[in-house]
Order: sequence, then C-alpha cells, then structure tokens
Amino acid sequence: MEDENLIKELEQLFQEVLKKGQVSLKYETTAKDVDGWDSLTNMLLINAIEKKYSIHFGFREIIKLKNVGDLCNAIISKTK
Amino acid sequence: MSLISIEFVVFFLCCFILYYAFPKYQKAILLLGSCVFIGYYHIAFLVIAVAIAMLTYLFGRLIAASDSDKKAGWLYFSSIVLLAFVWLALRYPWIIPKDKFLFPLGISFYTFQALAYLTEVYWGSQEKEKNVVDFLIYMLFFMKFLSGPIERPGAFLPQIKTEKRFDYDCVTFGIKLLFLGMIKKLLIADNMGSYIDAMYTNLHSDSGIQLVLTCLLYPIQLYTDFSGYTDMAIGGAAMFGIKLSPNFDRPFISKSTSELWRRWHMSLSFWVRDYVYIPLTTVTRRWKRLGVSVSLIVTFTVLGLWHGAGMNFVVYGLIQGLIIIYEMETTSFHAKLLDLLGHKIYNVVFIIRTYILYALSLVFFRAESLNDATYFISHLSLSLKAGWRDFKIMPDHNYIICGISFLLLMFYEHFNDKQNLIKSMNKLPAVPRWIIYYALLLLLFIFGAFNSDTFVYLQF
Repeated sequence: MEDENLIKELEQLFQEVLKKGQVSLKYETTAKDVDGWDSLTNMLLINAIEKKYSIHFGFREIIKLKNVGDLCNAIISKTK
Repeated sequence: MSLISIEFVVFFLCCFILYYAFPKYQKAILLLGSCVFIGYYHIAFLVIAVAIAMLTYLFGRLIAASDSDKKAGWLYFSSIVLLAFVWLALRYPWIIPKDKFLFPLGISFYTFQALAYLTEVYWGSQEKEKNVVDFLIYMLFFMKFLSGPIERPGAFLPQIKTEKRFDYDCVTFGIKLLFLGMIKKLLIADNMGSYIDAMYTNLHSDSGIQLVLTCLLYPIQLYTDFSGYTDMAIGGAAMFGIKLSPNFDRPFISKSTSELWRRWHMSLSFWVRDYVYIPLTTVTRRWKRLGVSVSLIVTFTVLGLWHGAGMNFVVYGLIQGLIIIYEMETTSFHAKLLDLLGHKIYNVVFIIRTYILYALSLVFFRAESLNDATYFISHLSLSLKAGWRDFKIMPDHNYIICGISFLLLMFYEHFNDKQNLIKSMNKLPAVPRWIIYYALLLLLFIFGAFNSDTFVYLQF
C-alpha cells in the first residue's frame, strides 16, 4: 500500500528541484522514468528530502535506494 | 600477442576447442589461457597481474570477515591506498627509474576492476568471492585483459559459475562481432591512423586547415579503433559463452557532453560515476549545486588522469567537467531553445556542437604535451599553405574508403539500435547471407590497412 500523502509531497519536491511542471511518482518509479532525475540532480533531491523531513541518510543507505518505494520506506522509517 | 595477429588466432582457436571439448575443465582452460596470453607479452606482466589479483582476493575476504564496520573501513582504506600506490608506481615512470621501467599492459583496467570489487564488498552490495580460480578469471580473462571493458564483479562472476555448452547462435554472434570489430579497426581506424599520427608529429609544419581536419577526424579514428577493439573483445568472450559489458552506444548522436559520457567508454565513465562521483556528491550534498560542480570537476580530473599523468590529460578531463557544469546550469535555457527551434533543428545543432567540442578536447588527449595541444588549438584556422592540396591530409583513396565505411557504420548503428542486425542476419536465406559475408570479407582484404597490430587504448 503506497503512502499517497508522502508520494504527493515528494512529487511537489521533485517539481521544485528538477524545475519541471509535472512529475508523477509511484513506488516502482526509478530515475530512468523521470525526466531530469539523473546523477547530476540525484543528490540535490536527497538533500532537499533530508531538509524537508529533518532526517539524515548515511552513504550506504543512499546507494541502496533503487526506486521511489525504497525512498518512501526510508523516509517513513526515519520519521517514525 | 595482438588481437590482430596469427599468434592470437592460433592461441584463441586452441582455447576455444579445448574449452568445449573438455567442459569439466573450462575454468582451468580460461585461467591457464589467460596466464599464457599475459605471460607471452612478458612474464613480469603476469607476475604483477596475479599478485594484484591475489592481494585483492585476500583483502576482499578480510573486509567481508571483519566483525566491525571500523575494522572493515580500515581494511578497505588500506587496500585502496595500496592498490592505488602500486598502480601509480607502475603506471608513471617518474616513480620508478626510467631505464628500469616496463609498463605493465592492462594494469589500469584490471586495477580499476580490483577497486570496484573491493568497494562493492565493503558497501555490502557484493558477496566476497570464495573461489580463487573464479576470482582470478574475473581479473585476468584474456579477452578483456588488455583494454577492458572494465567489468563489475556482480556482472562477471556469476557467469563463470556455470558450465557452458556449445551454443551455435552465441558462437556465430561472437564471430560476427569479431568481424565487425575488424572492419571498424582495419577499414576505418587504420586507414586514417598513420596520417593523423603524421599530422601530430609534424605539428609545426601543418597549415591551419590541416589542423582543423585532423581535429575533426581524430574522434572517428579513436572511436573506430577503440570500439573496434571492444567489439572484438565482446565477440571473442561471447564465443566462450561470457557476456562482457558494452563500452559504446552510438556516441556521435549525443546532444550534450553529459549524454556523450553516457555513451563513450561506458565501462570507465560508469566506474568513475559510481565510485568517485556518487561518493563525492554524497559528501558535498549540503553545498547543493556547488557540491555537484566540485564533484564533477574532481571526477573528470580523475578520468583524465586515468589516461596518463601529463597536464594535457588533466585539461582533457577538466574540459569535460566544465562543459557538463555549464550544461547543468543552463537546462532551462536549453528547454526554451528546444521549444523555439523544434526537435529536429535543435538535435542537429547540438549533435554537431557536441561533436566539435569533444573533437577540440581530444586534442589535449592526443597531443604529446600541453604545449603541443595549446599550439594545435591556437593555430586552428582556415589558412592554407599549399593551396587546395592542404585538404589532402591523407590520400583520396583513404578519404573515400574511410568516408563510405564510416557512413555505412553510422547507418548500421542506427538500424542496429532498433533491431539487433547481427542476430537478424540469421533469418536471411543462406545464399544472400553468405554473399554478404563474402562481400564484406573481400572488402576487408582489399581495402583494409594491415599495417598496424596495435590499438590506441593499449597504452593505458
């Protein structure tokens, strides 16, 4: 079951960081599926997420994030 | 033992026949074959390669067996420093007296494989390899030993765990890829290589237009040389049932330099992305865009330095980093330009722009020194010294062969992108299929330049 509120918040954040009008995310979405989400913008997104939720990801946690679902689960577990 | 030599053909056929004749001993044949291949160049190369492989194997086991993160971290750090030191010491002659220096072939490629393995084991994304024979094959396999592709342990090691049966489709696919590599190398790269070399050797007597032509043609020579080698490596490995990573994906259709680096020497560019750039951006992510820019500069400097210690390689890397930073900072401008020009015009303009920028940066890659490169760049002009004869930096015959072959190659790559043409060939009836094979073979023997048995990337 996807956390719809979290997904909507992330979509908003992605739009701001990637400067895109519309970004649609699902749990299985990967960087390949989102225009502008690449190795140049990935850490800008991570940094924006860390600031928004006042959390911190370790290096090994970041490299294990493979899709939006992994990202949501990591955010949920850190904000509990 | 060059990949284009009678010795290699004999060696390859012996390994190939034994490999499928004695399936129980496939690993032993691959390992022994690799040792013979490396040792044939120089026994010292084999000793160094085996020593580095064994060191990596042992460190990998120690890191995986560590009972604390701190201990694993120290072991990882020590192993990386040690491997980097050995690589630097053997790669750059100023550390070792020049008269005693013997550049170990392939060291940059297999050292980067070793670093990738240790990093993956330390990150926990790769299990330690228990089987020493499998690990040695990962490090030393002869089809990729000299110039890559730089393989990842996760992609290569599982492949050699299973016994390989003779697969007709796989073997014929490999033969065709070997042949394609030879066409690229002998028909295009070697037909222009010696003339471009001469232009760089006699730099000060070249006219402005000759330098422009040399600058614009060199990317084609380098691409057909290195991608030709890579096709042969991938094709040869496919004949043993082993899939190697691709190194090129139609780089000359790139519309930006960042796209070019996702298509050019991919096994190296992805290596620096995963093991240099991503860790750096992770550390510097609080600096936001500045952190990305700093990481790009460091990453591309490392990529430049991988090719050699000269300042010209540093500049070559820096140019790539600076252009990508510019592209990153101007994405909104490019989006507006795309709307204004439309896709077709935008694509044509930026494909040409990317090619020219890369060709200019390659002057620093190809020139013997930074002085030569700056002379080359500063003397680019449309000026002629001997009239229209200046355009003939190589004979008409070579222009025609290289031009037609390169155009056909571009068409082939365009259609191959939509459908694997090598595999589709099998669907053709036997007669036209064999007519095509013989025609290509005949063209290769008539127009191929069999005057060189070396490859540009062997020096790295």
